Amino acid sequence: MKLIKLIVSVLTLSIFTSSFGNASSAYTGPDLSGESLTILGPWMAPEDESFRDVISIFENATGATVEYGGSDEFEQIINIDCQAGSPPDIAVFPQPGLAANIAATGCLKPLGPDVESLVKSNYAAAQSWIDLSTYKDESGFDKFYGVFYRVNVKSLVWYSPDNFEDNGYEVPSSMEELLALTDQMAADGNTPWCIGLGSGGATGWPATDWMEDIMLRTHSPTVYDQWVSNDMKFNDPRVLEAMDFFGSIALNDSYVNGGAKAVATTDFRDAPNGLFTSPAECMMHRQASFIPAFFPEGLEAGVDYDFFYFPAYADKDLGKPVLGGGTVLTATNMNRVTTEFMKFLMHPEAHERFMEKGGFLTPHTGVDTSKYASDTFRGLHEILQQATTFRFDGSDLMPGWVGAGSFWTGMVDYTNGKSAQEVADAIQASWEAGE
Amino acid sequence: MTIFSLALTVLVGILVFVLFFHVSNFLLDHFGKRSSKIFKLENSLRVIIFIAPAFIVLFVFIIYPVFETIRLSFYDKIGREFLGWSNYAWAIKDPDFRRSILNNFGWLLIVPTLSTFFGLVIANLADRIWWGTIAKSIIFMPMAISFVGAGVIWKFIYDYRGPGDEQIGLLNAIVVALGFEPQAWLTIPIWNNLFLMAIMIWIQTGLALVIFSAALRSIPSETLDAARIDGASELKIFWSIIIPYLQQTILVIWTIITILVLKVFDIIYAMTNGQWQTEVLANLMYDWMFRGGGDSGRGSVLAFCIMIGVIPILGWNLYQHRKEQKV
Repeated sequence: MKLIKLIVSVLTLSIFTSSFGNASSAYTGPDLSGESLTILGPWMAPEDESFRDVISIFENATGATVEYGGSDEFEQIINIDCQAGSPPDIAVFPQPGLAANIAATGCLKPLGPDVESLVKSNYAAAQSWIDLSTYKDESGFDKFYGVFYRVNVKSLVWYSPDNFEDNGYEVPSSMEELLALTDQMAADGNTPWCIGLGSGGATGWPATDWMEDIMLRTHSPTVYDQWVSNDMKFNDPRVLEAMDFFGSIALNDSYVNGGAKAVATTDFRDAPNGLFTSPAECMMHRQASFIPAFFPEGLEAGVDYDFFYFPAYADKDLGKPVLGGGTVLTATNMNRVTTEFMKFLMHPEAHERFMEKGGFLTPHTGVDTSKYASDTFRGLHEILQQATTFRFDGSDLMPGWVGAGSFWTGMVDYTNGKSAQEVADAIQASWEAGE
Repeated sequence: MTIFSLALTVLVGILVFVLFFHVSNFLLDHFGKRSSKIFKLENSLRVIIFIAPAFIVLFVFIIYPVFETIRLSFYDKIGREFLGWSNYAWAIKDPDFRRSILNNFGWLLIVPTLSTFFGLVIANLADRIWWGTIAKSIIFMPMAISFVGAGVIWKFIYDYRGPGDEQIGLLNAIVVALGFEPQAWLTIPIWNNLFLMAIMIWIQTGLALVIFSAALRSIPSETLDAARIDGASELKIFWSIIIPYLQQTILVIWTIITILVLKVFDIIYAMTNGQWQTEVLANLMYDWMFRGGGDSGRGSVLAFCIMIGVIPILGWNLYQHRKEQKV
């Protein structure tokens, strides 16, 4: 008896300590004092503060000095730096498509099997993340190039719970219900959607997110992948169908705030404001997880605004697809300190510190979700972990001149009255012309 | 710390140059005295030494980039593989490129003409009224605003809200007050080009105005008085005396604004980014050069086209300038 008791207590103790120890184990690295590391990325104030905080964990543990520089012209700078032969040690790409372009020039170095196996053992749906950061090198061989860090979920619809309650609307759980709800709102004299495509030089991108979410809900992930890689042409009937689906909402004057004409001219940062006016200018806003940063000040998550998953069709057997995006950290050399930093990024602490600061989502399975700054992000974390299909923002994967060029401008032309056929033909033509 | 080190760098740089000139001059003097045979050589050497630093800077920052751009225009995206004329062939076939050329022509015709016209007329009128100086100052003010800043201001003027909403855009507020439908001004092809040009005219009229005001003073008052005594109407004076007197100034202002317009970028970038058929060459070049991984080949082709456009106007301007100096 005593022996059994002892074994049980030892077991419970060890379970307790191991789980407890796992959650709070601090990062310890080798001694790298005197070494230094430069990082270039797209994060600017206030996000860069959070990242610098993460960096300080690494600096304190290893003694290395790390310098982070952020720029909203990252995409241009990384090109120029690589050509000039003075790239940063680590580059943070917002678009894997761009990282692939740069990898092909030989400016980026593969991270090697050690880091890859760390990703494999720590990330949910690890293989899809590894695939997303596997690019062709100079000689055309597939190599593993990057670690995804800080991801976002795009398949979200934001709304004001008060507005829903006042009008007696229910959060829809399927696409059929969402479309019925849209009709009902319009019939009640409310405007269902706020859509804004304006984004300065990047005007049009919010419409590409709509297109991607619609593609994932009307066709299989394989079709989506073929679309993104252009194995299926951009002017394929299935793409036209998705565009017309978007048009059925965005081009319907009674469905969108300000009418179809306002869609392309409204800035995406201003668009969600319509949710919070009195009377509300719109009831729903489909946008990624970062959008609360642009909501009017003083609003409380879960009280003044909330979100639901942009639902899938109940009668189509396509599971629960989630569209997302993320930044990928790549290296331009693989010296000791760079390698160690990449390994550090796989440590839960590197994620938890950013989670506490807010605006951060992670596919890391070893993190303590209580560290998230708000319930909103815990909810998003669940959507991310429960996704049956995760697909990366297609326009970020397409070649730059399409995904950050003709696709954007094409969608603007579409909202401005051009036919889906005309727009899709032009995008396909530009795709081929760029190759 | 950084300011200190910057100041130090500047100081060291200046010292190095002063030393360079003095030492080389001293050496030349020193060796020059020994023999008068190499006097000629010495003199030309002195010229070379004194011109060299300026020429090196000019070479590194202007001449070399020009040739590098031309070279890159024959290469692929990353400047590695030679492609021959295919980037140029692409440009000719590209609908955006054709659209930009057309738009650039529109800008070239309308903006310099209207800016010069308004500047001249306002300069004339403002001289005759007591509040002319105030009016001139106000019209000159936009010159102090950057193009991007102007773009942001005008974005509010052209702002569009749905028909039921309150219009925060000035133009739509007026249109609605007059009982018409609000318009999304920047999305109406062809017209939107004119709306964008209005911004440039708004800025450049100030420049023309100030220069014309100064030039008007150079017209001898005797000539004007004589004309008035002879009974010439003010309009007649304007056409037959003022315009001929200001001919050179008009040409200079017109070319200055023309060159500025050829490389117009900021306004388009800030307002429409070339969408709704407002694309111009400089914005298209930026798009191809830097967006989405970049294509230095096609970007260079477009840069080269802009240069080809600027050179004749610049050359003509220089020619006029020389002719003027000879007179």
